Amino acid sequence: MGNLYHNKIAQWIVYVVFFAALTIIPMTVSDSFLLNQLATYGVYGMLALSISLCWGFGGILNLGQGIAFGLGAYGMAMTMQMQSQSESNPIPPFMLNNSLDHLPLLWQPFQSTAVGLVLAVAVPTLFCAAFGGIMFRARVSGPFFAIMTLAMLSAFYTIILDRQAYTGGVNGLTPPSSFVFAGVEVDPYSPTAYWVVLCLLAGATFVAKLITQSSFGLVTQAIRDDSERVRFLGYSVAGYETVIYTVSGLIAALAGCCWVMLVQYVSPAQLDVGFSLSMVIWAAIGGRHSLLGSILGAFIIQGAQSYLGDAFLATWLLILGGFFIVVVRFLPNGLASLVESGLGLFDRQRPTSSPAPDGGRPMPAE
Amino acid sequence: MDLGSLINALILGVSIASIWLIAALGLTIIYGTAGVINMAHGELIMLGAYSSYMLQFYLGLPYLLCLPVSFVIVALVGLALERGLIRYLYNRPLDTLLATYGVSLVLMQGVRLIFGSDPKYLAVPEIFQSNVMIGSVSLSVFRIVVLLVTALLVLALWLLFYKTRFGVQVRAVMQDKEMAASFGINSSRIYMLTFALGAGLAGVAGALFGVLAIVLPTMGASYVVQAFLMVVVGGGSLAGSVVASGVTGELQSVFAFFTNDTFARFIIFVLIVAFLRFRPQGLFAQAGARR
Amino acid sequence: MTGLLEIRNLSKSFDTTKVINDFSMEVVEGTICCLVGPNGAGKTTTMDLITGRIKPTSGQILFATDDITARHEHLIARAGIGRKFQVPAVLRDMSVRQNLEVAYSRQTNPFRNLFKFRKEGLKEKLDEVATLAGLTDRLKERAGILSHGETQWLEIGMVLMQEPRLLLMDEPIAGMTESEIEKTTQIFKDLRQSATLLVVEHDMGFVRNIADVVVVMHMGSLLAQGSIQEIEADRRVRDVYLGEQEAA
Ligand SMILES: Nc1ncnc2c1ncn2[C@@H]1O[C@H](COP(=O)(O)OP(=O)(O)OP(=O)(O)O)[C@@H](O)[C@H]1O
Ligand SMILES: [Mg+2]
Repeated sequence: MGNLYHNKIAQWIVYVVFFAALTIIPMTVSDSFLLNQLATYGVYGMLALSISLCWGFGGILNLGQGIAFGLGAYGMAMTMQMQSQSESNPIPPFMLNNSLDHLPLLWQPFQSTAVGLVLAVAVPTLFCAAFGGIMFRARVSGPFFAIMTLAMLSAFYTIILDRQAYTGGVNGLTPPSSFVFAGVEVDPYSPTAYWVVLCLLAGATFVAKLITQSSFGLVTQAIRDDSERVRFLGYSVAGYETVIYTVSGLIAALAGCCWVMLVQYVSPAQLDVGFSLSMVIWAAIGGRHSLLGSILGAFIIQGAQSYLGDAFLATWLLILGGFFIVVVRFLPNGLASLVESGLGLFDRQRPTSSPAPDGGRPMPAE
Repeated sequence: MDLGSLINALILGVSIASIWLIAALGLTIIYGTAGVINMAHGELIMLGAYSSYMLQFYLGLPYLLCLPVSFVIVALVGLALERGLIRYLYNRPLDTLLATYGVSLVLMQGVRLIFGSDPKYLAVPEIFQSNVMIGSVSLSVFRIVVLLVTALLVLALWLLFYKTRFGVQVRAVMQDKEMAASFGINSSRIYMLTFALGAGLAGVAGALFGVLAIVLPTMGASYVVQAFLMVVVGGGSLAGSVVASGVTGELQSVFAFFTNDTFARFIIFVLIVAFLRFRPQGLFAQAGARR
Repeated sequence: MTGLLEIRNLSKSFDTTKVINDFSMEVVEGTICCLVGPNGAGKTTTMDLITGRIKPTSGQILFATDDITARHEHLIARAGIGRKFQVPAVLRDMSVRQNLEVAYSRQTNPFRNLFKFRKEGLKEKLDEVATLAGLTDRLKERAGILSHGETQWLEIGMVLMQEPRLLLMDEPIAGMTESEIEKTTQIFKDLRQSATLLVVEHDMGFVRNIADVVVVMHMGSLLAQGSIQEIEADRRVRDVYLGEQEAA
C-alpha cells in the first residue's frame, strides 16, 4: 500500500478538507477585526505557497520574494489611491507635499482600475520572467541565485525609498478608502474580503498542486536533484526554472494585491530583507516539500506572533530563530516530514528504517 | 562639472571603500576558505559594537584598546558558533545560509532583550572627532582611522595567508580537502580557526561602525547584504574583496556626487547584479574552483 | 553510406594542454562503433564535446549533416543524441520509475508540460525498458540506494527511454557480472536495428563481440580505425594500448 503521505488521492482529500474548513470561519467569527487578521494570514499563506513551489519543488531558493510581493502591493496601492482622486483633484496629497504639480507618467495608467490591477500583477510577473530568464540562462543557481535576489531586493528597496515624490518614500502609500471593484466596495473588515483572499489562496494552491503533479513538476524535481543531468535528456533547464520562478512570483504578486486590499497600506518595509526571509522561514518550518505544510507553517508562525503580541515580539523572534536553527539542522524537510514519518509507521510493507543519514533527502513526491 | 569636485569625490570614495571592505573582510575569509555563506555576519558586527560599548561602559577601557578586545570576544563567539552549528552543515551551503540567518535572529533579539532597543554610543578620543582637510575635502579623523585599521588588517591577513604555515594549510584545504588531509592537515581545525578569525574581524568592524553610526541591535542588517556582494564580486579572495570594495566605494562616491546617496546605492546594486550575470565566478576565480 | 555523426578536425585545449588534437572520425548509421584507447586518451572528453558539455577550441561536429558544434546540451539531446556517463549519473533522490519517466522526453516544452499528466506511449515504453534493464521490481526504490550495477542499468534504461538516434555509452559494462555483460551485448546488437551506437569500453572481449568498427584514440588523436581484426593486428595499437592491456 505504501505510505499514505505519498498517496495522491489522500493528498487531494486533505487539501479539500483543509479549504473546506477555512470556508466555515466567516460564519463563526463575528469579530470583523479578527476576520481581517485571519484574511491577512491567507496572504502569508500565499507567500509561503509561492516559496514552497519555487524552493521546495524547483530547488530555487529565492530570498527576494518581497520584490514580487512589494511590486504587486505598490501596484494595488496606486490603483486604490487613484480611486479616491477625482477629476478636479487628480493628484494624491503626498505628491503635492513633494511639490509635484502634475500626475507623473508612472501613475497615469492607474487612473483606470482595470488597467491598474492588470499592471499590479503583470509588472512583477514580467520582472520575474525577465530577471529569472537572464539569471538562469547564465546558469546562476543555488546560493548565488539567492544572493542575487537579495541584491535585487535591496535595489528595489532603495529606489522606492529614494523616489519619494513617486512612491511616498519611507511613509509609503496609504489609500484613504476601501477598494472598489466593478461598483462593489470591498470593505477590508467584511467577509467579502476574506472570501476574495480565500478563493485566491485556494485557487493558487490548486494550480500549484496540479503543476507539481504534472510532467512539468516531475522535470523541476529532476532539476532540483541534478540539473546538469537533466540537460542531457533534452530539457531546457533555464526554461523550466524561469517558468516555476515566474509562477511563484505571480502568486506573490497576487498576495501583494490582497494585502493592500486588507490593510490599505504599503511601505518599503514590505521589501525589507527580513520580511522576505520570514517567508522562507514559514516554508522551511512547515515543510518546503509540501505546499500545504508551507501554508500551515505561515499560519502557525504568524498566528503565534500576533497571539503573543508586540510586547513579546523580541522574545518570540528569539525563540523562532532558535527553532529555525533546530529545524534546518535536524529536520530539513520541516514539520511536514514528521507527518510523513508518522504515517510511515502504518506502512507495514516498508519498515521505518529508512530515515536517511544525511537528513537532507527530499522525498520523491509531495 | 569641475575637476576639483571630482577629485573630492574620489578622495571620499577611498573612505567609503574602506568601510565596504572592512565590513566584508571577515566574510571573505569565511566564504573564501569554507564556502560558508554566513548570514549572521551583520550580527557579529553588531556584537563587536556592543562588546566595545560594554568594555567602555563597565570597564572604562580606552577606545583603541576596545578594538583588539572586541576582536577576541567576537572571535570566541564565532568559535562557539562554528563548533556548535556550522561544522555540521559544511556540505549543505543553502542550509548554512538559512541556519546562520536563524543565528542572526537569535543574536539580534538576544541583544535587544539584554540592552533594549535604544541606541548606545561609543566614546572616542577628542582628536578623532575633529576634521582634517585633504585637498578641499573635509574628512573626519575617525574615517582616516578606519582607513588605517582596514589597511593594517589587510596587510596582516595577507602576511598570514601567504607567509605563514597556517596560510599554506588554509590554502591547501581550500584547494582539496581530502588531499590536504592526506598530508596530515586537520581541515576541521582549519575551518574552525578561519571562522573564528572571520568573526573576530567582524568584531573589529563593529567597534569601528559603532562610532560611525549609532549602536543598535538592528545595525548589522544594513551591512550584511553589501558585505556579501563584495565577497561574491571579488570571488571570495582577499585581493578580490579589496578590488571590489575599492571600485564600488569610488563608484558610489562619484554617483552620489551626481545624484544622491540612496540613488547611488541603487545603481551599485543593479551594476553588481549585471556584473555577476556575466562573471558569476567574480573578479578572481579561486584556484580550487568550487561549484 | 554517409556518417550519422561526423567529427572533423576536432581540437580541445584546457589552459595550455591539448587534450584533443585534430581528431576526426565518423559513425555510420545503424552500426556499433567502439572508441578505445588508454586512460586519458580523451574518449570521455570527445563525448563531452559531442554532447555540448564543453565547446571545442576548433573543429566541427555534424549530426545527420547538421552542424551541432555550437548548440546547447539540451538542443543536442533533442536532436537525437543520448548519453550514458562514465560515472553513472542518475537522479538519486527520485524513484527508479521517475528516473525513467523523466528520461521519456518526447515533449520538452515547459509550457506544454505544465498541465500534462498523461504521456502517450509512456506505459508501454516504461514496461519494455524496465524489463530489458531488469528493474521491474525496483521501480519504487529511490535511485540513490541502487547498487553500482543496477545504477548502470538504470542509466542505460534512461538513455533507451530517450529514444535517441545515436547512443553514446561511456564504459557501460563497468561493474557488471559476466551474465549481465552477455545481456548487454545482446541488447546493444538488437538496438542496432533502430539506432546507432558509439561505445567507449576498455573490455576488449566485449568490444570484439559488438563492434562493427573500432576507433583507437591515443593522446587526443586518431591512432587507427577499422574492423576488430585489423585493429588487433595493428602494430602501433599493440604498442600503445593492447600490449598494456595484456600486461595488466
Ligand atoms: N576539465 C579539464 N581540465 C583539464 N584537463 C582535463 C579536463 N578534463 C579532462 N582533462 C584531461 O584530458 C585528458 C583526457 O581525459 P578523458 O577523461 O577524456 O580520458 P579518457 O580517455 O576518457 O580516459 P579513461 O579511460 O580513464 O576514462 C586527461 O589527461 C585529463 O586529465
Ligand atoms: Mg573516460
